[in-house]
Amino acid sequence: MTDTAPGLPRLGTTLFSLTLEQRRPGRDLASLVAEVAARDLGPGLEMVAFQSLRGWPRLDDDAVREVRGVVEASGLTPSCLAINNDLGLYPGRLLSDDESYEYVAVQVRGAAALGFPVTRVGVETSPAILERLLPLAEELQVGIGVEIHAPLTIEAPPVAALKDLFVRLDTPWLGFVPDMSSSMRAIPGAVDDAHRAAGISPELTALTKELWSEPGPTMAKFPELERRAAEAGATPAQVGNLKMLFTMHGRMAPERWADFFPHVVHVHGKFYGVEEGPDGLTDPSIDWPAVARVLVEQGYTGFISSEYEAHAYSDRHGAFDQVRAQHDMLKGLLEQQQPVGAAR
Amino acid sequence: MGPLDDQVVRADSLTATPDGLDIAVHSHWYRALPLPSLVTADLTVDGEPIDTSTLAVTVNGHRYAFAELAGQGDEYWFTTDPLVLHVPVPTAPGREHRVQLLLGLSIPYILTGPDRVPLVAPSRTDKTLTAAGA
Repeated sequence: MTDTAPGLPRLGTTLFSLTLEQRRPGRDLASLVAEVAARDLGPGLEMVAFQSLRGWPRLDDDAVREVRGVVEASGLTPSCLAINNDLGLYPGRLLSDDESYEYVAVQVRGAAALGFPVTRVGVETSPAILERLLPLAEELQVGIGVEIHAPLTIEAPPVAALKDLFVRLDTPWLGFVPDMSSSMRAIPGAVDDAHRAAGISPELTALTKELWSEPGPTMAKFPELERRAAEAGATPAQVGNLKMLFTMHGRMAPERWADFFPHVVHVHGKFYGVEEGPDGLTDPSIDWPAVARVLVEQGYTGFISSEYEAHAYSDRHGAFDQVRAQHDMLKGLLEQQQPVGAAR
Repeated sequence: MGPLDDQVVRADSLTATPDGLDIAVHSHWYRALPLPSLVTADLTVDGEPIDTSTLAVTVNGHRYAFAELAGQGDEYWFTTDPLVLHVPVPTAPGREHRVQLLLGLSIPYILTGPDRVPLVAPSRTDKTLTAAGA
């Protein structure tokens, strides 16, 4: 296993990285999990319950036994189960607070039955619902983490409300799941493939990247993007695709992840491509040396789930190979950091 | 906009049945979605728009009228399973059809705007394919 030295964050993989692999003929949960293990991409194993588990959120005892058997046979360690609070489940209305609580609680129980120590929810799960879930989390000893994903940053009002809640409750069972989509240094190159396939001109792609990289809050740049893209001939559907780039890729400084501690229960190692550079493996769109520094300085010893997401844009690179490259890069970066305490 | 869009309607998706044309449709979203999430299936076959109210859908072995999906919040369309659109147009094994589909999936956990409306993720298909026999 590519395990890191004691006292450092541990590596792992989320099956979400294998979204395209999952669709190939003959693939099933067992074969994906077995290949993650065979390629030494653990020790942590995360999955999105609604993506990987047929019958979720109501697995019967046989299904639970089968999934547990697959994970145990692999030798991987369950790290996190990503669950969802489908507030917009029914047309024309959102779930009530009672319905939302029940929808998530069923899944936290399911995660416990499967042996996952942490669940991930989205920011749509309100502080009030999280507080209501706390006794269940304590009883089951399953953490609940709110994912901080682009376009959220430390400055977003919902994040401040969550921080207040976690400080007030001071519990290990509720916290954040930082996702590196919020703290990127460039729009990923894989976007070029998707734009070419969608008939979006290289000039429009370049314009979007240029505006994205300028200083200032991303949300404030939408009007200028819409105006200049329309002037350059973009159709309304293409403008929608360009705006999605601003939503999916945040520009928070990676050092700001320190502000989420000590309330971090899991980390998503979101990435869009690791490549060989003049100084070894590097990620052009995410500053992993800065992220590794923060995680080690904060004494984080939980899992970083490698979450390859360029499959949303391109199938040019193999996900297994990309996760391998990210693991090799991260192991090196983490082990280069000063031990906890020495850096202070 | 991505690799899964090209898999929504696949080379072997069309089947000719005595009742019309069956189209196997795969989701372009990465996770299972509740059936009410299938909010748009704007379909044109050989240039003729298909009235959605005439569509039936088979998913998980259950057959619904398209409008009935909105009431099936306890049932999910799993990631790797196709659902089948039953389209009342005449066909026969070996016949070619141009299929244009705008599939719109309401993403129930991504709420947008001040009114917190679920994001609708579109996927557009325009393929000419041959129907197999049932």
